Amino acid sequence: MSQFFNQYFNFDVMREHFGEVFVGFLQNLLVFAVAAVLALALGLFLALLRQLPGKKLMPIRFLTIAYIDFFRAVPILIIILMISGGVPFLSFLPQEVRIPHWFGRPDPFWYGVAALVIVYGAFSAEVYRAGIEAVPRGQMEAARSLGMSHFQAMRYVVVPQGVTKIPAPMLNELISLLKDTTLVSVIALSESVLVSREVLSERLNSSSLTLTAIFFVIIILPLARVVDKLIARQQLKVTRGSHIEVA
Amino acid sequence: MAEPVLKLRGVCKRFGALEVLKGIDLDVAKGEVICILGPSGSGKSTLLRCVNLLEPPEEGEILLEGKDICKGPGSGTGEQSWNLDFVRQRVGMVFQQFNLFPHKTVLENVTMAPERVLGRSKGEAREKGTALLERVGLGEKLAQYPERLSGGQQQRVAIARALAMEPHVMLFDEVTSALDPELVKEVLDTMRELAGEGMTMLVVTHELGFAKEVGDQVVFMDGGVIVEQGPPAEVLENPREERTKQFLGLVLDR
Repeated sequence: MSQFFNQYFNFDVMREHFGEVFVGFLQNLLVFAVAAVLALALGLFLALLRQLPGKKLMPIRFLTIAYIDFFRAVPILIIILMISGGVPFLSFLPQEVRIPHWFGRPDPFWYGVAALVIVYGAFSAEVYRAGIEAVPRGQMEAARSLGMSHFQAMRYVVVPQGVTKIPAPMLNELISLLKDTTLVSVIALSESVLVSREVLSERLNSSSLTLTAIFFVIIILPLARVVDKLIARQQLKVTRGSHIEVA
Repeated sequence: MAEPVLKLRGVCKRFGALEVLKGIDLDVAKGEVICILGPSGSGKSTLLRCVNLLEPPEEGEILLEGKDICKGPGSGTGEQSWNLDFVRQRVGMVFQQFNLFPHKTVLENVTMAPERVLGRSKGEAREKGTALLERVGLGEKLAQYPERLSGGQQQRVAIARALAMEPHVMLFDEVTSALDPELVKEVLDTMRELAGEGMTMLVVTHELGFAKEVGDQVVFMDGGVIVEQGPPAEVLENPREERTKQFLGLVLDR
């Protein structure tokens, strides 16, 4: 038992390697921040493509749905490995895209960001869709009957209302994204899990992994409470009678 | 007689196998108020929605100020095209459920389309919107959000919002059906005033009193066709058709 405790909760190991692991964790946060912004933008874009009207735009809707379904199905780890293993050899791309070192970040950073954006763009598109579809049809009709184009109606009427309905599920996606940044360790980005494993092989002790876990818990637990609050607030609105439905 | 503002010929609309409109002919002269009555499912609302192309008809023609709005690029696909712009800048619509934009104030509800669609300046749109809201008796509610208003007030905002686009024709789709009885009058009064000012109106309604008083013509629809049409005094008091008699009997017996 004490052996187990020493293997995972050796405070000396934690203290001695705190700095490295913390720097690694900052790397996770950075990947998360960049990927989250881009994924939220891509998700909204995909959700809007999916809502395009008319028969002529059916192929676009179909392709969008295919994209969303596909990237929700494939494990992120595989996407990360494929991007980092494939993109460098796409010889038609310029060198700085194949092996990106933008803003002083190494190429694994950007491969990881790309994979996470591709996948979480698909997931967040579904969340946006839920929000958009929760806006009563009459809103779109009213906007269109006032002469707005489909795009204007989306931009000024439907999307602003739709996004107010989804902060809780979207925050859940973001929590999941934050945790999945650790997967980028497989392509040698020095983030917290990779650093911890290096410590593990050096000291033959897993306490650095425990430390990493603690970092994630400290960040994510408050977020989980925020989700609860948001859901409770939404529930309250529904029971009070949504301001859109009028009986 | 002058060329009608709106002229429908053989308008048909299907939803899958369900034929909702089976060839509607209707002429609407400038300044005329036409009240459309009929049991639910008779196609009244669909008819209005066809006129502003929310539901493009499959067959027939709809001439708006002489132009066939069912032809032209994009017709039948629900996409933006010249005839949609043409129609929606001339035809305003008010809905049963008001459909005000809940995230915008009363005034913003009214100014949004003139700013975004007609390209009016903010100042101009606000000035005009304020005047319209004062006209429907809501000058004090400009900064309120719709949820703070009663149903009757919301519906008057919806009317002002449609009027802000300076339509030539107004469509009213059962606009008092979702209202508490004591709120119906204020909305009907607003519509009455509008009719008095010479607005061309197509009104789907169950308010027989309003139809009798304000309507120039009453149209009775059933099963996707116009069963009977004429001045309110004739259709409402001496209906020729059995189906009209039956419907009016049911409505009056309430």
